[in-house]
Amino acid sequence: MRKGSKNSPHKGILPSIVIMIYLLIPLVVTVIYSLFRKWTDIVPEGFSLGAYGELFANQEFVQSIGRSVLLCIVPIAITVGIILLAMFATTLYFPGLEKYVQMICMIPYTIQGVILSVSILSLYVSSKTFLSNRLVMLFGAYSVIIMPYIYQGIRNGMRTIHVETLIDAAQMLGCTKLYAFFRIIVPNIISSVIASSLLAVGIIFGDYVLIRNLAGTSYQNMQIFLYQTMKSDSIKASAVFVVIMCITFLIAAVTLYMNRREKNRK
Amino acid sequence: MAYIKFEKIIKNFGDTKVLKGIDLEIEQGELVTLLGPSGCGKSTLLRCLAGLEEVTSGKIYLDGTDITDMAPRARGIGMVFQQYSLFPNMSVEENIAFGLKQKKVPREEQMTKVNRMLEIVGLDKQRKHYPAELSGGQQQRAALARALVTEPKVLLLDEPLSAIDAKLRKSLQLEIRKIQRELGITAVFVTHDQDEAMVMSDRVHLMNEGRIEQSDDPETMYARPVSHFAASFIGNYNLLTDKQFLAMTGIGISAGEAAIRPEVIHITEKEQLRDDAYYCFSGVLTGSVPHGNITRYEFDCAAIPVHVDCLANEPKHYTMGAEYGLRVKKEDCRML
Repeated sequence: MRKGSKNSPHKGILPSIVIMIYLLIPLVVTVIYSLFRKWTDIVPEGFSLGAYGELFANQEFVQSIGRSVLLCIVPIAITVGIILLAMFATTLYFPGLEKYVQMICMIPYTIQGVILSVSILSLYVSSKTFLSNRLVMLFGAYSVIIMPYIYQGIRNGMRTIHVETLIDAAQMLGCTKLYAFFRIIVPNIISSVIASSLLAVGIIFGDYVLIRNLAGTSYQNMQIFLYQTMKSDSIKASAVFVVIMCITFLIAAVTLYMNRREKNRK
Repeated sequence: MAYIKFEKIIKNFGDTKVLKGIDLEIEQGELVTLLGPSGCGKSTLLRCLAGLEEVTSGKIYLDGTDITDMAPRARGIGMVFQQYSLFPNMSVEENIAFGLKQKKVPREEQMTKVNRMLEIVGLDKQRKHYPAELSGGQQQRAALARALVTEPKVLLLDEPLSAIDAKLRKSLQLEIRKIQRELGITAVFVTHDQDEAMVMSDRVHLMNEGRIEQSDDPETMYARPVSHFAASFIGNYNLLTDKQFLAMTGIGISAGEAAIRPEVIHITEKEQLRDDAYYCFSGVLTGSVPHGNITRYEFDCAAIPVHVDCLANEPKHYTMGAEYGLRVKKEDCRML
């Protein structure tokens, strides 16, 4: 009897609820805080969605969302492209080099954002080429930061299919290896690519250090906008935070959905 | 001239010599089998013909053309793989049409050819299904249709039935053979299963350690093995050294080894032994194992184990531990 209760599936529920409450309280309080016009100590006054209305009426905020999206799309496209080509080459021509690709792709895990941004600045800021452009630096930095996640996603996707035999089959049907890779292999791992890309979006959305150090306030994305807003209006800042949080949750939901769909398809 | 010709094919993987100078000819319209144990080089030879592996040296000719250095897509060869290798993101119909699309065949012609193939392999109702929704047998038939639809000069089948259960495998063996005969296509089939090779082939090429050990039609391959390896791989031959043979029968042989199929040995009463047309010996029955249509008896003949196969419906009952006479026609005893 005692043994049965020891292994009870309900045993972990209470700690889980406590942990969830602990994690959710700040988020819930922020949401509540953003929904009132005025706060006197801990007493709210005047329920209002005004902060959100003002936010979305503010052209700068809408533009900052657009900039954040651009900052996601470009590095993800670059990294996905590079990793796919690297995986194509290592899988079909140089299998022995895969461990080095893996090693290179894992290095960014260990690099702190501050160190990366300072290194990039000291290397490229005095360059006379396009590399000194702050936006290009940001694209490059984010491409490096998200590399481990994109690599893992693509590699896991490729492990679920017989890459070599599918390419052999496609070759026998008239394709080149490269065409077969992008026509047959990539569509079959697209869910993994999308899932890891969405994870990368979450990482880029959550970054403040790199954009603050590399672009300052000259390229105002959502994080910088939040930082600026916090200085002037805490309620509006809470609304900005809630919007960022909603976007992040949406990304997480889509990622989970893609993973589930991938599992079901298999 | 032979339709397919391998000329002194050598293939090395690093220091490992996989194919050691293969010379082989295949006639048009034949279904030939490359038979052999795992690692003998049969799949490598097939992949060299497909162009998926480069040969280290030697030449491959197809219909008189040297295809040794040709890209796989330019060879006009279709292939069915062991793991089916259907494209998971495409339906059966799309999989079959894929090769035609690559060849830029007009859409209407594509549809006609795909429909015909679906009919031949009996997958018309599953045309919109994805590979994950098909059984193993259906996937393999879809793979066969995909390989055949482009009307290749040669169809290669790399152990296509090894992942399928025994009953379905037997029906697919006959189905593949029927389709191959109907289309009159030259086919090269790789298998390690001697029964499969016997059922399907016009000609069997038995491979061992990167060399062709014996090339014959299935009946000859079964009845007249040319070496110890061939006799031990094909059938369930009793292989006896000259000393064992002498100890058993009292007759010396000039060959180093005698190979006797278990089904050509007759069990008789001990008194009926003497007959000049037969090699006669005696043995003690030590065991019997039912194998469906046959029963395999194990005899101890002067401390030499000998297997004898009898049809299971023979109304004979042998006593365990009793001594019986055994005899085999001299012409059925293969000297190696």
